[in-house]
Amino acid sequence: MSVLPKFRTFFKIIKENGGVVGSFLKLYRTEELKDGTLVGQDKYGHKYYENKRYFIARSRWVDYADDVGMDYDGSQVPPEWHRWLHYMTDDPPTKVPPVTRKYILDHIENRTGTHEQYVPYSTTKPKVHAWQSPRAN
Amino acid sequence: MVRHVFINCVLCVHFTEQVHPEEGKLEWREMTDRAANTAFMIELSKGLGIVMSHLFKEPATINYPFEKGPLSPRFRGEHALRRYPSGEERCIACKLCEAICPAQAITIEAETRADGSRRTTRYDIDMTKCIYCGFCQEACPVDAVVEGPNFEYSTETHEELIYNKEKLLENGDRWEPEIAGNLQADYLYR
Repeated sequence: MSVLPKFRTFFKIIKENGGVVGSFLKLYRTEELKDGTLVGQDKYGHKYYENKRYFIARSRWVDYADDVGMDYDGSQVPPEWHRWLHYMTDDPPTKVPPVTRKYILDHIENRTGTHEQYVPYSTTKPKVHAWQSPRAN
Repeated sequence: MVRHVFINCVLCVHFTEQVHPEEGKLEWREMTDRAANTAFMIELSKGLGIVMSHLFKEPATINYPFEKGPLSPRFRGEHALRRYPSGEERCIACKLCEAICPAQAITIEAETRADGSRRTTRYDIDMTKCIYCGFCQEACPVDAVVEGPNFEYSTETHEELIYNKEKLLENGDRWEPEIAGNLQADYLYR
């Protein structure tokens, strides 16, 4: 185990993350600097990387799109990449395309705490109706 | 070496023994070694060396949400109601899932639809009652209710976790690419 390859890897990581400034910004956002090959990009702009040098669970990662800024969230990963990112399959959707159905909706992130959050409601007609006085009308 | 101490007593005689090891003779060499250890802080610098070695080590933790842990294709997460490829909903309101649910989290009401097919009008799952055992998806004869791979649906309020039929169908519509892939990966074992 020599020290020289470690330095080479270090400079490679700095270079791949966009120099000193880019690495600093990346470190600020993700608290982690890694080198890897770009496997693909989804339509929301998230980029997916892989490097088998790291152990499983660290060997695949997502770089969230720039427009989410610091509001990145685990639920922003769309289902087709979610499957690859969680090691359920080794084939990314760029290699094995997922099923296409006309009813499939776009992915949304977890919207709790926003005005778009899910609010439960009854999907049935009420069985008991309140009596209304015929004189009311 | 055993040192005996006689304690004055009328009826009995007590003896005590020295149990700890005897102190060695303090030689000049040991004295200087001890003094050097203190002066040069050898233990401290050794500890610092361990700190530095761990600083450059690959961490054993994963950096969520950028890296995520491995999941099984059979992972039982958030529920979803699936559809046939034609877009027709699968659930036929047989209520087997409601019957088998050990936590009684599922509520179903059924009616005949305008075209004469039997469908649910209410399909509620209380996600806070659910114990994620997966009996509902095993009971389902048409693969309608499944426990999808999503686990990132934590909410700020309780009411958001009381899912109705629309929400479950929407989950199915959003997660179908992954659900279909997982079912395909596992179909030989089911």
